[in-house]
Amino acid sequence: MAKTHMLRRWRRTAVVALAAAAVALSGCSIQITSQPDPTIGDDTMLINADHGNPFFTRNFNPYLTNTRTASRWIYEPLILVNPLDGELNPWLATEWSQPDAKTIVMTIRDGVEWSDGEPLTPDDVAFTFQLLKDEPTLDIKGAWQHIESVETQGNDVVFHLLSEDAPSLSIIGLTMIVPEHLWADVEDPGTYRNEEPVGTGPFVLGNYNDQQYSMDRNPDYWQADSIEIEHIVLPATNNQLDTVSRGYDWAYAFISDVEGTWGAASEHNSWWFPPGGVIGLMPNLEVAPFGDVNVRRGIALSLDREEIAETASEGYMKPAGQTGLILPNQEKYLDPSIPDSGMITQDTDAALAAFEQAGYTLDGDRLVGPDGAQLEFALTTANGFTDWTRAAQSVQSQLAAVGVKVTLKLPQPAGYQSAISNGDFEMAIGGMGNGDAYQAYNNLLSSEFYVPSGEPTANNFERYRSDEADALLLEYRETVDPDRQAEIVRELQNLVYDEMPVIGLYYGGIWGLFSDAKFTGWPSADDPYMIPQNYDSAPLMIFTKLKPVKEGDR
Amino acid sequence: MKYLLQKLGLFVLTLWAAITLNFFLPRLMPGSPADAAIAKLSQNGPVSDATRAAIEAQLGVPGGSLWDQYVAYLGQVATLDFGVSYTFYPQSVASMVSTALPYTIGLVGIVTILAFVIGTLIGVAAAWRRGTWLDSLPTLTGSFLSTFPYFWTALLLLFFLGYVLHWFPTTGAYSATTTPGFTLEFIGDLARHAVLPALTILLTSLGGWIIGMRNAMINTLGEDYITFAEANGLHERTIAVRYAARNAILPNLTGFGLTLGGVVGGSILVEQVFGYPGIGYLLFNAVIGQDYPLMQALFLMITVSVLIANFLVDILYGVLDPRTRR
Repeated sequence: MAKTHMLRRWRRTAVVALAAAAVALSGCSIQITSQPDPTIGDDTMLINADHGNPFFTRNFNPYLTNTRTASRWIYEPLILVNPLDGELNPWLATEWSQPDAKTIVMTIRDGVEWSDGEPLTPDDVAFTFQLLKDEPTLDIKGAWQHIESVETQGNDVVFHLLSEDAPSLSIIGLTMIVPEHLWADVEDPGTYRNEEPVGTGPFVLGNYNDQQYSMDRNPDYWQADSIEIEHIVLPATNNQLDTVSRGYDWAYAFISDVEGTWGAASEHNSWWFPPGGVIGLMPNLEVAPFGDVNVRRGIALSLDREEIAETASEGYMKPAGQTGLILPNQEKYLDPSIPDSGMITQDTDAALAAFEQAGYTLDGDRLVGPDGAQLEFALTTANGFTDWTRAAQSVQSQLAAVGVKVTLKLPQPAGYQSAISNGDFEMAIGGMGNGDAYQAYNNLLSSEFYVPSGEPTANNFERYRSDEADALLLEYRETVDPDRQAEIVRELQNLVYDEMPVIGLYYGGIWGLFSDAKFTGWPSADDPYMIPQNYDSAPLMIFTKLKPVKEGDR
Repeated sequence: MKYLLQKLGLFVLTLWAAITLNFFLPRLMPGSPADAAIAKLSQNGPVSDATRAAIEAQLGVPGGSLWDQYVAYLGQVATLDFGVSYTFYPQSVASMVSTALPYTIGLVGIVTILAFVIGTLIGVAAAWRRGTWLDSLPTLTGSFLSTFPYFWTALLLLFFLGYVLHWFPTTGAYSATTTPGFTLEFIGDLARHAVLPALTILLTSLGGWIIGMRNAMINTLGEDYITFAEANGLHERTIAVRYAARNAILPNLTGFGLTLGGVVGGSILVEQVFGYPGIGYLLFNAVIGQDYPLMQALFLMITVSVLIANFLVDILYGVLDPRTRR
């Protein structure tokens, strides 16, 4: 234990020192410029996407938690989902249909080859799903929580679902497909490291060592015409100084003062930070007085979200509303009748009125309950998640202004995770929302995830229960009519707006950093075709959109 | 012989205590390895319950009662089988350690020996010429540099020699474009990448050796037998090296033994700042990732090597200084 304490202290000191160095150096105005490695050619992309910490292990099994990032660009999903807005793009499946809410039919793309020359067939798809059924530890997207059986019919693969479950389409579609002719002989897929990956994706593994690996363009890729990147290089270790100075074409990182660092390092550097989730206050509804919606409303009305967003994200992210939706990504789902797009603004009088309804009144500078005790609680966040910590400090001082006493609890990330899943907290900073509106509300509200405090749950950490929410979620699952689904989503957001199971604060950012020096066509606010993250499957789409800069254009 | 047995008994007892502590301490940390992995993922966005379930299933939780786990653990220690790492699943702990160890021993080990040799030599020279610039310059610079924290020196070197002047590479153990192998090119590249971390350790540890040796040396130089040797007209260097330094080095040698024992722990901060793939960096990630098997193997390795170094120093002392055996 002493060792970890020491580590923590060292780390904190190191961070302080880094910050001090940054201040001192900016005072001397020494500008860090990017110094691209001259051995990396114009047709090669340098990506800061995979972290070895401290070195790479050769693991290209796409279903393992510790797989190499690039394995998810070697293996492809059936449907490519844009996590920004939940948009579905045909990928290894060219089309799909839901004849009823218990059946999904996917047509597998013709003419796709594995990188060893074998054709991709619907049998490969069926095999993959069987593999995930036999080896549940590999089912990281959870397809078999929805499927009863899978069969092939010509070019189609038919999924029979466990129940009426329309939204399972996107989850099943996310599953990455592996070749039967190679994986059928794998003895223990749960620990298989797949050192020589063979996939359908745009790249094949090139050189590999424990400090870096490279990928080469797959000339037989099914949309080879769209891929103009010849090679990709992924180094193992990098810090923020390296991210800025090494000449990366694509990085994903929260960088302090992005304009003065990443932006100033090269005239070609740009960035796009779309919102990717809602960061909020998560009360444990089983802890008094948070079970009282008036207390939650009082807290929500006491907060100045502009200031919290500014402090937490250095102004990169906007304050979030109370609908659970991520705007503007999910604007199309928004119920226009909700005032101000769901944004709650600070209103101390209204806050005190709400608190009063719950029995709390202002006594001097303390908000006291019927028993005369001050309203106070501990706010839990994870040590090292600096934006969350800054948000928590903001909340602490803003609630102090209305007489509520907040203390901060900062366990290590694992301790934080265990605290929220076990309900061992009073109030916590947490996330809600994702590109798929149904999934977001289901994770937030469904009593399927309800267990009392003291028992672990995977979602619904605030321990919310409502028959109304459950009925709406169930109806959504049984509905294949998109109009009715949209209506249900509007009803769900009204529920979140009124009941405040979680109090929205600000948006969590997606930190896409790009360079236009060699490739252009990055996703942007004007063309948000894909989330700008360089992990998971999202790059599959971005790779097809990137065009090399011609010699003359530079 | 009795002295040796006493020391051996103490060694075994300490070893058992260390192994036992090593078993219990990580289990007192809140949260499980799966929690750590999920927390890391959830920073980038919401984690679905299916993903959680799969991660929990992959990483599992140590099964059985604490006593069963303890017995199993003792068996593992005896057979040096530390199982599979959580953070680097499904890689074995042994393979992770054996990849990182050469980097650490190569860097920290060599630099520690260098710092000891150079520092001791300077200390001898400073004491012998005390009062002159040969004394004040290295003593003052040495003590000045050793007051800097490791990471501060590391950051300054990294920034100025790496990013501003571009003299040395700033991260990793070798270039992205070099192929590892027993070639001149690769070894040169490896050496260039080691310069900045090595310089950091050298600069911050040199002062201690210089001052330790100088002070011990000055004490010894005041002894009667030195005056006697001088009166006998022996050569200056003979007195300095054969008469004074030989006796004065004892405390420094103890320190050296212990430092060498700690080398396998690597240097967490230096390795982290320079992204150097050694044991220190590995240990840091093991702790962050709640990786019990890896953490235990590394802590045990460090404890055992310090214990062994301690034991050897005790024995050596007994040989060099008969008074300790009484």
